[in-house]
Amino acid sequence: MIDKRLFQLNGIIKTLIGLVLMTGLQGLSILAQGIFLARAIVGFWEGQSLSGIGIDIISFAVAFLMRQLLIVLKNQYMSHFADRAVETYRVQLLSKYIEIGPSVIAKTGTGTAVTTLGAGLDNVKNYFQLLLIKVFDLSIIPWLILIYIFYLKWEQGLFLLLIFPVVIIFFIILGLAAQSKADAEFANFKNLNNRFVDALRGLPTLKQLGLADSYSDEIYNISEDYRKTTMRTLRVAITSTFALDFFTTLSIAVVAVFLGFDLLDGKMALLPALSILILAPEYFLPLRNFSDDYHATLNGKNALTDVMDILGKPSVKNRHKLLLDQWRADSELELAQVSYGYEDKLVLKNIDIHIKGYQKIAIVGESGSGKSTLLNILGGFLQPNTGEIKLNGQDLPHLMQSDWQKQFFYMPQQPYIFHDTLRGNIKFYAQHATDKGIQLAVVQAGLTQLVSELPNGLDTIIGEGGRQLSGGQAQRVSLARMLLDDQRQVLLFDEPTAHLDIETEYDLKQTMAPILDSHLVFFATHRLHWLDQMDYVIVLRNGEIVEQGLPQNLLDKPDSQLNILRHELGGRQ
Amino acid sequence: MNKLKQLLSDDHWIVPFLKFQKAGLFWSIFLSLLTTLAAGALMFVSGYLISRAAQRPDNILLIYVPIVLTRGFGIARPVFRYTQRLVSHNWVLRVVSQARKRLYSSMASQASSIRGRMQTGEVLSLLADDLDRLQNLYLRTLFPLGAGILLYIFVSLAFGIVNWLFMIWWFLVLAIILIVIPAISFVINRPRVHHQKKLQNKLYTDATDAVLGLQDWVLSGRQNDLVAYQGQVMSELADTKNKEMRFGWWRDFTIQALVLILVITTLLWAGNQFSDNHVMVNYIAAFTLAIFPLVDSFIGVNQGVSEASFYEDSIERLNDLPLPTVMSDSVSHIHNATINFKNVTFKYDEQLIIDQLNLTIHSGEKIALLGRSGAGKTTLLKLLSGDIEPNNGTVTIDDQPTINLQQQLSHIVAVLDQQGYLFNTTILNNVRMGNVDATDEQVKAAIKQAGLQALIESLPDQYETQMQEAGARFSGGEQQRFALARILLQDAPIVILDEPTVSLDPKTESDVLTQIFTVLHDRTIIWVTHHLTGIDHVDHVYFLESGNFTLADTPEKLKKTSPRFQQLLAMDDY
Repeated sequence: MIDKRLFQLNGIIKTLIGLVLMTGLQGLSILAQGIFLARAIVGFWEGQSLSGIGIDIISFAVAFLMRQLLIVLKNQYMSHFADRAVETYRVQLLSKYIEIGPSVIAKTGTGTAVTTLGAGLDNVKNYFQLLLIKVFDLSIIPWLILIYIFYLKWEQGLFLLLIFPVVIIFFIILGLAAQSKADAEFANFKNLNNRFVDALRGLPTLKQLGLADSYSDEIYNISEDYRKTTMRTLRVAITSTFALDFFTTLSIAVVAVFLGFDLLDGKMALLPALSILILAPEYFLPLRNFSDDYHATLNGKNALTDVMDILGKPSVKNRHKLLLDQWRADSELELAQVSYGYEDKLVLKNIDIHIKGYQKIAIVGESGSGKSTLLNILGGFLQPNTGEIKLNGQDLPHLMQSDWQKQFFYMPQQPYIFHDTLRGNIKFYAQHATDKGIQLAVVQAGLTQLVSELPNGLDTIIGEGGRQLSGGQAQRVSLARMLLDDQRQVLLFDEPTAHLDIETEYDLKQTMAPILDSHLVFFATHRLHWLDQMDYVIVLRNGEIVEQGLPQNLLDKPDSQLNILRHELGGRQ
Repeated sequence: MNKLKQLLSDDHWIVPFLKFQKAGLFWSIFLSLLTTLAAGALMFVSGYLISRAAQRPDNILLIYVPIVLTRGFGIARPVFRYTQRLVSHNWVLRVVSQARKRLYSSMASQASSIRGRMQTGEVLSLLADDLDRLQNLYLRTLFPLGAGILLYIFVSLAFGIVNWLFMIWWFLVLAIILIVIPAISFVINRPRVHHQKKLQNKLYTDATDAVLGLQDWVLSGRQNDLVAYQGQVMSELADTKNKEMRFGWWRDFTIQALVLILVITTLLWAGNQFSDNHVMVNYIAAFTLAIFPLVDSFIGVNQGVSEASFYEDSIERLNDLPLPTVMSDSVSHIHNATINFKNVTFKYDEQLIIDQLNLTIHSGEKIALLGRSGAGKTTLLKLLSGDIEPNNGTVTIDDQPTINLQQQLSHIVAVLDQQGYLFNTTILNNVRMGNVDATDEQVKAAIKQAGLQALIESLPDQYETQMQEAGARFSGGEQQRFALARILLQDAPIVILDEPTVSLDPKTESDVLTQIFTVLHDRTIIWVTHHLTGIDHVDHVYFLESGNFTLADTPEKLKKTSPRFQQLLAMDDY
């Protein structure tokens, strides 16, 4: 019922002791409330004077308020604890994301990573807050009440004790039946739901085909199928709550009737009987509350599992092995027999590269030949399975080295634009940039026109939920970031112009070409016109280097691998 | 408050549906009332029963009726509750079916056959979620509120039979619990809920920024900034939620305090009212004990009402949708597929998108349209398909304004766009959507023409293979070929190709383009493309910039005369 992982949280034991004390006090208040109410009623029933009953009524009121107050206090107490626990997880989660890096996260799904960090942690909080209170209510309050009922009349106590497991067993059995029913219909549900979204997403296509209007009846039919399936599942699903409801309500009725008979026979007095009748619903209340929120806690439990899964991922070791102050004209990087892949399928095979100083290296090949993977190895986002890496003579297990990652700027195919102002986006890498510096970067990166078009210029919010930039504009923002942070001597490009329209590509090339000088450049692309700007080329095919050398030399050789690639990509014959 | 009034008066998503299927609505609320009444009655009768039994009447028959009733109510409550849940869910799901159809019709009436830059899929999913959320509005707020009000009237009247002065007292206290407190909590929580939603959105964008921008955070060395930045919103959100919850807890506490007052006054009143009668004295326990289950349901009303603001923006978004329009049935016939743009100007928000543009495309001619994003290509296509009307000038096909051709557009213009959408059904059904009257043979012939024969034969279920969601089963090139087969079947004289190969690798791109131009050789083609690969397939090339053509000629001439064209071509033809 309680997750073992809960006990690994800091300060949990102290918190739980506090919760136990408060719950115990609450249980005693419930008892007192019931007893004094029964006494007051019996007092009136017996025709006592108000002065005699007054003390009972006041005691009842005090116990009643005490109980309600404890509910509020417990909630506040646990919500405070849950906030702290979630904050701990949040910091751990982000540190983990940073440690394992974007490539590993992309593999497990960025969607999951975002949800876990956002809604997931929120669910975890609800889980801690709700679950612990309900579990402790359930494990303390009914039993305090039961002890008192036993003391009053053991037969009733025994009946209530025996019915408790029966209720739970029925609840579980019917719950399982409902679960298997829901599982059986799950595929159906998913299918129906998808068909609705499918139709909405395909609406432009339906319109193109002239089918948009006639499809609305189809939508209705899908929805009605959905309703029928849901109702089939629901009929079974609510039986478990029904069972709980049925047994608890009926138990109270049975208790009342038996008490009636006992009273009739003179076996007991009204006061204990009335006390039992008032306390019987309280005995079942924690169980009902627990089952009501059962599903909410399931979500929380799954969210916690997601968080724990991510926290359990292995981190990359030896990330600070490299000592490098700056990449210079005489710096050297060597990759020998480097391979990368999963199990028996290698994406990169026996890569040998030797680089010195400010070379400009094109990495070319068809899509799927391993260009991006090689770039990811060079950037340290992926770690090779085998092979040797040497930087300035230092042996390194991989390039996820903080001193190396400080050296380079990476420009992906689609740079990420943050939900922030254009200014904030541009100075992302150089937080202390001056306005003058930003203006200069804007001009150099060719963003002047965009700035003049935006309603608030540099202070316009862009990115997700703000104004969307086109692919070319996003690349220019990335260029501006790079220009502003001029400390970095190494540039990595991953197909920066592949998806742009040709005019934008041409314009961008004019902006980019002069920036490349006096940098070490790795440029992965299948747009071969970039070769004019490069002084070295690596040709990849199926994860292997099939050729490397000076571009002009290779272009002059008619049967070179580079020329074969050119023809395959549809270049001039 | 004014905004709320506005919301209700503009509403066509909540109130109209309440009028729909009145019987189901009635039973949902009535059964909910019965459930609470049965719970109250159980305690009422059993209180009476044991009090009466304690008087040890001589004849057991004197307590026989209460015994039967106690058992009866004990069974009735769960049965009512079970039935109520089924009936209300069924009702709500029926409403959802209607609402979905309505949502679809509304979206369909404003949908364009030209896909814009903006991703429409997300907007649609958002709306679909909004509909789901409305279910909760009915189940958690409206039904409990309806049942609560009925219960209020019932209980007050029931007291009225016994003592009308005391009825007024109950009437007042219950009014505070059921009307005043929910109203206050609605008003107080509303801004909090809005704030919370804003923060939740921010949390989502921040989480997205953290994960998708992770590489930038790491490479810029700003790991610590990331942790701090993300924490701000998180703690602010927790703060807002805690305030909201704390309000709820203390509100419930206040309600319970009022319940306490009711219990004590009822006890005193009953003690006073019934004390002098040997039989009536047993009602003291009955009245007092029945209060607790009754007020339980009022607490549910309070929760439901404070949550109501959560649905506000869903309702707003839905209400903002246009009402489905019925298109005119005027059908005009096209004999000749000549397209004419005469002096066309189009403005959007005072911004000039198309500027006095002239263009003639003869039947069977093939043209390519190039331009940077934002140059006006999409607008040009929308003008051609009659989705929008020019502010000035005319757009005609066979001398008829395209705006009048909406009804039979799919017979005149076919569109193959970046993501030729494939529906989640079989291959055969998907392709047949091009022409629902086509025979199996015609469909198969089209598939073969699109170059998919070999692929189909490699599949175990052949033509009956399921596409899976959005055609995810097949590669990009294959998906575009399926869309092409559909267009072949559609047999419209004009085909718009809206960057159909943008997401394909160069080799596949060239293959697919060749296939397209081969099988569509007899159609008029308007091809929007982002580069010059395959440019020799067309008769004319147009470069669009700021709403007009900066360069327009045959590819051969451009290659010879335009330095600009030569520069661009050199990049594609390296």
